[in-house]
Amino acid sequence: MTTHSTPDTQKILLQPVPVRIWHWLNAFGIITLGISGAQIRFPEFISLFGSYKSAILLHNTAGILVAVSFALWFFYYTIITQKMSRLYIPSGDDLRHGLIRQAIFYFYNYFQGKPNPHHPSPDNKFNPLQKSAYLAIMFVLVPLVSLSGILLMNVGPLRQLVLLVGGLKILVGVHFLLACSLFAFLFTHVYLATLGSTPLAYFKPMWTGWEEVEGHEDEHGHHALKP
Amino acid sequence: MGWMLKRWGLGLAMAALGSLTPFGALALESADCLGCHSETEVVTAKLTIDPNAFDHTAHGELGCSACHASVTAQHPDDGLTPSKPVCRDCHQPIAEEYAKTGHAVNAGCSDCHNPHAVHSARQVSGHDMNRQCAACHQPDEMATAHSDWLPQAELHLEMLPCITCHTGSENYVIALYLSRPKTDYDPTTHKGVFELVSFEELKELSGDQAIATLIDADGNGFVSLTELKQFNGSPSHTLRLKGMMTPEIVTHNLQILNNRWDCTFCHASGPGTMQTSFIALPRADGTYDRLPVEKGAILDALNGTPDFYMMGATRNASMNLLGLAIIAGGLVMPVGHGFLRFLTRKNRQ
Repeated sequence: MTTHSTPDTQKILLQPVPVRIWHWLNAFGIITLGISGAQIRFPEFISLFGSYKSAILLHNTAGILVAVSFALWFFYYTIITQKMSRLYIPSGDDLRHGLIRQAIFYFYNYFQGKPNPHHPSPDNKFNPLQKSAYLAIMFVLVPLVSLSGILLMNVGPLRQLVLLVGGLKILVGVHFLLACSLFAFLFTHVYLATLGSTPLAYFKPMWTGWEEVEGHEDEHGHHALKP
Repeated sequence: MGWMLKRWGLGLAMAALGSLTPFGALALESADCLGCHSETEVVTAKLTIDPNAFDHTAHGELGCSACHASVTAQHPDDGLTPSKPVCRDCHQPIAEEYAKTGHAVNAGCSDCHNPHAVHSARQVSGHDMNRQCAACHQPDEMATAHSDWLPQAELHLEMLPCITCHTGSENYVIALYLSRPKTDYDPTTHKGVFELVSFEELKELSGDQAIATLIDADGNGFVSLTELKQFNGSPSHTLRLKGMMTPEIVTHNLQILNNRWDCTFCHASGPGTMQTSFIALPRADGTYDRLPVEKGAILDALNGTPDFYMMGATRNASMNLLGLAIIAGGLVMPVGHGFLRFLTRKNRQ
């Protein structure tokens, strides 16, 4: 673990550069996809990106960007750091106790002012609920919405695949509903990111990479909720 | 020599018949005319008529003399040049409408419509319609010109009759053609994804039955969604239904409809009018019959046509509400938790 220490605080490199690049490309891309997608679906009400043609072009471009950033993320965690399974797959203990413990924190103990039971570290960034949610998002939702989008961008060359999934109408419907699901998650994602010691405490490491934790706390650098 | 004998023979026969009539003239039967005018060896290519095609036209039913009234029984030995038929005599409203267009300066009726092979718009395929336009408007040039504003111009022009946008019809219906995938499909241009299947090929498939039974299984002249689903999923053929938007009515003002510049005319507002569709069944003479299809053929996700989709076609109230419910579900946590967070903020100070 890379750390910078001062007498009172400790800094840990929680989000390495490739992860931050991926995250913000993804964020920028998905928000663009959402707005341009809304314009494509409701062009008579939304014209933020000008013509229908430019909205489609932007949507396609942002879709490619998100697919590429997803590949970058997958490559980094699977090949470079080989931490994919450790970070994203809930352990037996996570499933037996962690999920309930974390849920009790979010829905009860948090309101009581009690600390977060999870202590993030570069090797264990996500709490059990986050792991489960990200597992579903990154291994099911994002791949499916990307694949359906890639098929829609290539209905001619990939026609046999399109027919295999039930035809274009099914594919478009699935793409739309998956995208809505991704946006539903996005609201929760952003909201949960405000639950740090200060509303922006969790945003900072995703921008700078460094998580600042108080030195007198435990070795995991727990900082989430000040007493 | 053969053609000379034939010509003289016909001439002599005409002269003999003519001498028996009180006025020396006789209304010619179409068969008499076609005796010479179906032979390229006898008349020039311009004056040659395909008797089979002519026979199946409304003009064919009227007969040659209905339009070529000035032709005498002595033709061509009388040395007279027959007067040109005037389409306006029968088609006055259309002629007046057309005369006001820019097209009228450059093309007469017969430049677009071969009067000896013409059919109504309901009887011809969209491709046939476009072939008339392509005689002057080169497809490549048109694709380039449209690409200034139209995405995938080539694909659009391939999938639409020109008159879907360049006529006075406010609405359109969907014509579904029996097609199959092209073997020489070019994925870079998307051009020529399908090719229409001919009557003869369909006849081979249907055997003793009428070709309509390939899709209208009960033969009641109406294709239900169940029959459509059976056809689309049948392993016994590789036929696909290719949809084409065709104008509900055809006018000759050939205007550019301003609302067609707006992609949403078809791609978002389309679903309402996309409920009317029919199967265009080829006939032996090259024309088409219309077989009505149950409402929903284009829009129904599971029972409809898997090979025809227009962007915007899945935009309906149920899907929008479902999408909205999913997004609203994502707001439950921020709103509900945030509210309790606000109320309990003192506990965390």
